[in-house]
Amino acid sequence: MAKPFSQLRERLLRAGVAPRHVRRYLNELSDHLTDLRTEEERAGRSRAEAESAALARLGGMESLAKAMIEQRQFQSWSARAPWAIFGLGPLCILAGAWFVALFILWSGWQIFMPGTSTPFVGLLDRWAMLYFGVGRLLYFGAPIFIGWLMGLVAARQRLNALWPTVGVGLIALIAGVAQVHANRPLSGGVGHVSLGFALGASVQDISTLLFHVLVILALAVLPWPWLLWRRDKSLAG
Amino acid sequence: MSSMGSRETNPNFMNGVPELLILRLLAKQEMYGYEIVQAIRNQTDSVIAVGEGVVYPVLHGLERDGALKSRRKTVHGRSRVYYAVTVSGSRRLAELSKTWTSLAGAIHKMLAGGQYGEAV
Repeated sequence: MAKPFSQLRERLLRAGVAPRHVRRYLNELSDHLTDLRTEEERAGRSRAEAESAALARLGGMESLAKAMIEQRQFQSWSARAPWAIFGLGPLCILAGAWFVALFILWSGWQIFMPGTSTPFVGLLDRWAMLYFGVGRLLYFGAPIFIGWLMGLVAARQRLNALWPTVGVGLIALIAGVAQVHANRPLSGGVGHVSLGFALGASVQDISTLLFHVLVILALAVLPWPWLLWRRDKSLAG
Repeated sequence: MSSMGSRETNPNFMNGVPELLILRLLAKQEMYGYEIVQAIRNQTDSVIAVGEGVVYPVLHGLERDGALKSRRKTVHGRSRVYYAVTVSGSRRLAELSKTWTSLAGAIHKMLAGGQYGEAV
């Protein structure tokens, strides 16, 4: 990124312009500036004078920013509908990931231990452990990965922390109170796997769930300070 | 950008005229942003003044609307984004030209002392 445009980039991102449109705009402005500078130098100006004249011809930061910001179609979805990007979207991703994780649990149960009443047993062969491991990784990793993703999107688009915080809090709460149940009818047949949400019946249960929520939340926001530091470093540069 | 001077922008330029001028220019041949701005300046005898960079949001908007298409092309060692009018852009140009010709005719007639002038 050409240094003269770093402030414009920040201005556009903070105004909600999608990063890909900002990148394209600044690339073309950079090319245009090079052409203008060459033209000014050919007219006999010194390098410094040519640079200054070229920047003046290109337009002031406010007018360049305003021209782009006024084109509402270049706004990012995070700016247009943060509730969808940090609320509905992550919930859908979590639901999808958990669906796949539960399918792995159910299918693994049928494949590796068709006779047992539950898939939650300890003694498994290597392939079964690997198969169930993928499912566990997906189940436990999805809320954390989604939190990282939200942090990345928010930092990249210079969003304030409100919506990402609400989103990650919601995901951590859901992940903390979710419980997987599996049972096979006593008469035999195909087992069932289901997902339920329970807050717990006793103070002990509630405090355990709260602890789970806080652990998930802490892991989900783990890279956020680093992302903020990178964003601030980029702004300072 | 803090070192950038503030160039006055002709407010009329910002009210639908850029689309017309850009589509008109690109109807003849494909061009890149710098070429477009220079062509506007030359062909309007610098009457239409504009901060040159503001042409890009207009180009991107027209492309998004399907009136323009772009492609990256390397000429004399420089990679540039060239824009060209699409079929939809040609239709839009025809509509805009008709509107502006009609408007310009009406204004010219009024300034020349047409109906309204005679009544006064």
